[in-house]
Amino acid sequence: MQRRSILSEPEAPTRIDLAPMIDCVFILLIFFIVTTVFVEPPGVEIVKPDATLDADLEKNSILVGITADNKVVYGGKVLAIAGVGARVKQLLNREELPVIIQADAQADHGVFSDVWSEVKNAGARKISVSTRKD
Amino acid sequence: MAKRSILSEDEPTEIDLAPMIDCVFILLIFFIVATVFVEEQGLQVSKPDAAATVSPEENENVVVQIAADNKIYFEDKEISLADVVNRVRANVAEGETPVVVRAHEKSSHGAFIAVWDAARRGGAETLSFTTTH
Repeated sequence: MQRRSILSEPEAPTRIDLAPMIDCVFILLIFFIVTTVFVEPPGVEIVKPDATLDADLEKNSILVGITADNKVVYGGKVLAIAGVGARVKQLLNREELPVIIQADAQADHGVFSDVWSEVKNAGARKISVSTRKD
Repeated sequence: MAKRSILSEDEPTEIDLAPMIDCVFILLIFFIVATVFVEEQGLQVSKPDAAATVSPEENENVVVQIAADNKIYFEDKEISLADVVNRVRANVAEGETPVVVRAHEKSSHGAFIAVWDAARRGGAETLSFTTTH
């Protein structure tokens, strides 16, 4: 044990027992691995409409956003309404997922309706509208 | 160093855990950063099936209309949002009558969801929406 410097005493090497810390870190790691779902939020500000009879939706879903100025957004990128169907179909080919449309309360109903039809035609089984949390 | 058992020689064979901890920490940080806690609330909406639209609408269905200026009409009369609940409840006695929300394409999404929610509270079970131009 000649590694230690002048200050240390020769016989007792002070060592920290790392095992409990590793245990903790592993538990944290496993928690985060299990809870992680890779969902791409629209990444724009959306004021959702309010509803009383709403239920919790699936955590792992495809989120399509519609902003107050009627832009359709997926994963932070603005899409044309016609492009939504293709994008959703591509994602559904990989994995069967429910689709959530997050539309702003000020968005036009026509745009929402078109997006809904696009998503439906892309083959989505379950399409929901996101509402404000109460 | 007298801790070790019979098998060990003088040198205590110890595994250096530091690199493993480094790896585990990097993984941990990655997962912490990648985690998004999505907690969405919402409701399911649907358009009428192609087969169901064969039946003429006005006679059998309860139709609630939303005009371009977000005003709600029922049987050509303007009604309030609270009235939607009552009207739907009165007309959907058996719970089987389909309710159709016909929204103008320029009406707001918020108004549509409010009417949809009111119709659900009124006891409508088969709800669908169509869009008018």
